Amino acid sequence: MTDRIVEAYIGEYASGKSESAINRALELTRQGRKVNLVDLDLVEPFYTLRPLQKELSSLGLDVIAWKTEETLGLGEAGTVIKPAARWALRREGDIILDIGYGVEGARTLNLLEGAVRDPDLKIFAVINVSRPMTASVKDIVAEVSAMGRVDGLVNNTHLAGETTVELVQAGARIVTEAAAMLGLPVVATLADTKLAEIIGPADCMGNPVRPLQRFMPKAFW
Amino acid sequence: MQIAPVMPKSWRVDNKPHKFCPGCGHGLILKCLGKAIDELEIQSRVIYGCDIGCSLLSWDFFNLDTVQAHHGRTTPVMTGIKRARPELLCIAYMGDGGGYSIGVQHLVGAAMRNEKITVIVANNTQYAMTGGQLAPTTLPGQKTETSPYGRDPGATGMPFQGAEMISAIAADGAYVARGSISHLAQLTGFLKKALKNQIDGHGFSFVEALSACPTNWRTDAAGTWEFIEKDMAGYFERGEIKVPGQKEATADA
Amino acid sequence: MSEELVIEEKRVFMTGNEVVAWAALAAGADIMYGYPITPQNEVMHYWSRLAPRYGKNFLQTEDELSAGFATAGGVMAGRKAFTATAGSGSVLMQEPMAMVEMMRLPTVTVVQQRGGPSTATVIYSQQEVALTTMGGNGEGMRVVYSTAGHQDLYDYTIKAFNSAWKYRFPAFVLGDGYQAKMREPLTIYEPEKRGITLLEPEPYVGREGKPGQDRPPAQYRNTYNLEEELYEKLMSDIRDFEKISAEIAEYESMHTEGAELVIIAHGIVFRAVGEAVSNLREQGLRVGGFRPVTLRPLPAAQIKDLVAGVKKILVVESAYGQMARLLKETACGAPCEIHTMFKPGVGIAAEEVEEKAKEILHSQ
Repeated sequence: MTDRIVEAYIGEYASGKSESAINRALELTRQGRKVNLVDLDLVEPFYTLRPLQKELSSLGLDVIAWKTEETLGLGEAGTVIKPAARWALRREGDIILDIGYGVEGARTLNLLEGAVRDPDLKIFAVINVSRPMTASVKDIVAEVSAMGRVDGLVNNTHLAGETTVELVQAGARIVTEAAAMLGLPVVATLADTKLAEIIGPADCMGNPVRPLQRFMPKAFW
Repeated sequence: MQIAPVMPKSWRVDNKPHKFCPGCGHGLILKCLGKAIDELEIQSRVIYGCDIGCSLLSWDFFNLDTVQAHHGRTTPVMTGIKRARPELLCIAYMGDGGGYSIGVQHLVGAAMRNEKITVIVANNTQYAMTGGQLAPTTLPGQKTETSPYGRDPGATGMPFQGAEMISAIAADGAYVARGSISHLAQLTGFLKKALKNQIDGHGFSFVEALSACPTNWRTDAAGTWEFIEKDMAGYFERGEIKVPGQKEATADA
Repeated sequence: MSEELVIEEKRVFMTGNEVVAWAALAAGADIMYGYPITPQNEVMHYWSRLAPRYGKNFLQTEDELSAGFATAGGVMAGRKAFTATAGSGSVLMQEPMAMVEMMRLPTVTVVQQRGGPSTATVIYSQQEVALTTMGGNGEGMRVVYSTAGHQDLYDYTIKAFNSAWKYRFPAFVLGDGYQAKMREPLTIYEPEKRGITLLEPEPYVGREGKPGQDRPPAQYRNTYNLEEELYEKLMSDIRDFEKISAEIAEYESMHTEGAELVIIAHGIVFRAVGEAVSNLREQGLRVGGFRPVTLRPLPAAQIKDLVAGVKKILVVESAYGQMARLLKETACGAPCEIHTMFKPGVGIAAEEVEEKAKEILHSQ
């Protein structure tokens, strides 16, 4: 067994994949690990890692994403996969992959050289119960079942600035129930740092709580 | 004593005689269509759409609910109706300009998706309503107002094989034929089979009808007949081109 | 088997395009016809995912001409039909919308504006105001709601269906790439539970009975023979439109009473303006804000009142004066100074509006 951590964050549109990936990458960096954060959002260029590169690099991450000035016709011409992203799994250190949404789900990982056979790869589906497409246990089960291989769920239930502890806990209950039906673990519940402090190290279902710093509102474009 | 002409039951009688020129092919095609509708007893279910060009003169031609749309856009209007109310039988009637030029992408799109509508294109080798300009169907050497020295295939291409193109792209279940006002019984038969194809829900149906425009051709009756039967026939073959269940139908059925 | 649509009233977190798809469901829309163009794609993505669940339909057409004309067909068949588009797609959409105006068809079109004339640049823009209000070879007999965020997108998409079917003029929801892609919370609800009666659609063609026997045939044309005939038809529509204009027109105003300067903006730009006005008020400056929600018809009476009672106006737009032209026509003859801040295809922040407002207040 290696010590290497390789995690891919997938999920429904606007479910918080990038936010989960960024915060996980930073958490690992703080532990003194070398971490690569890879933008694999091929669907659209909004709310991706691209505008955050500088800030995230300054926090010690190796970010693999386009720079805006390297692109042409952004938003219209589709997103071209960055060659470095294709070979990301060959990089030294931990690898956190931010996968875009779309009906292809986890199949985006086929584009990554070596992903299928990578022994360390874990694929986590990020769920926000405040999103109507994944509001109920039934919807989450259907959604995740259609994604292909998934190794765990992440509860990222929030309403931006209106998020409360109760909302996060309600999300935890629904996501945990769905996870049980899917036979999957809940890897973490995410909550803004302040809420995370109130909730403590575990949510009401016993899932570990990861404090979250929100970067993505700055990443719109 | 005046003898009333025999008109299809689905025609409106109150506004006849119709508005087309004497000798125009539209009246004949619409008579065949009226007979087909009568024989299939579908008057209550048909929505008739006509285009811009001379076909618009048929906007109140039938005792049918009718929409007269923009040039070339009758196909998407009928597609929209059919998708919203599949129980209705939608007919898009237009000229060769609407079908093969300005609206060709709609015709292609509808055929490709196998829309369960019936499109009828009257081919008279030119734009009639706008005063006789070059159309995709204009014959080589034929003079029009925008090909005053005759159509030069090197500059403007050859007569467009619309029905053959539709046949090539349409899925199994589509019906494609080309008839002519010179063979009315055959044309009625094709129109009937096209509508039947829609009734049965097999898929797209398409009939091109070779038509006449003596006004712009400046032909007398004999000259008109000769142009259709000799000149046009040399480029446009009559017959069924695609019939559901038959792998490859041969022309001249 | 399709499910029955149940929308529990609650706060949710969504992107703007998704909001439109859900709102169309809530409004009882039956069918969407559309063609891909950024930034409206997720309207189609979500509608095509949700539609089959609830027994609704979707058709991806060959282009926007077809999408618009098929939408016309859908409403003529007596169904609540809608489409969504943007940019060069909006340009193509004008042809079907001209026919729709002429035949008085209750279509609903969602326009997510993008920077133009250009490909790409799909976020900040209010450059489709002229197209959406007055595009087409007609007189702009349309109802246009300019939204300023997700709650608006939900509320006004629902309202657009009702206005279209009530007045029989085409209705438009005018958003932009920013709203389309932005993520924020909103409250979703079932309109009936809020006391909003959803109007039932009626068929134009394909009613019961044999035409010519049980009923006269329903025949619609877009061709008029004589100038007089067209004139009569147009004037009748124009009179209808003018009669209902005051009833349709909507606006939002803040601190306009006794203000020295009123900042006018529509859509998402009013969010920046609203913030600027609040900040300037806190600084003791007599500044107000005004937002026409309907750009067609404009809230004319309120605009006339406003310009009659204020010294200075600042018009702010992510366009080079497309709304200002409409405003000036209504405000014609008013003695107030009209200042402008036009940034075509670019986003506008509260700070820049504040700065500009101060500059205007300090210049005598």
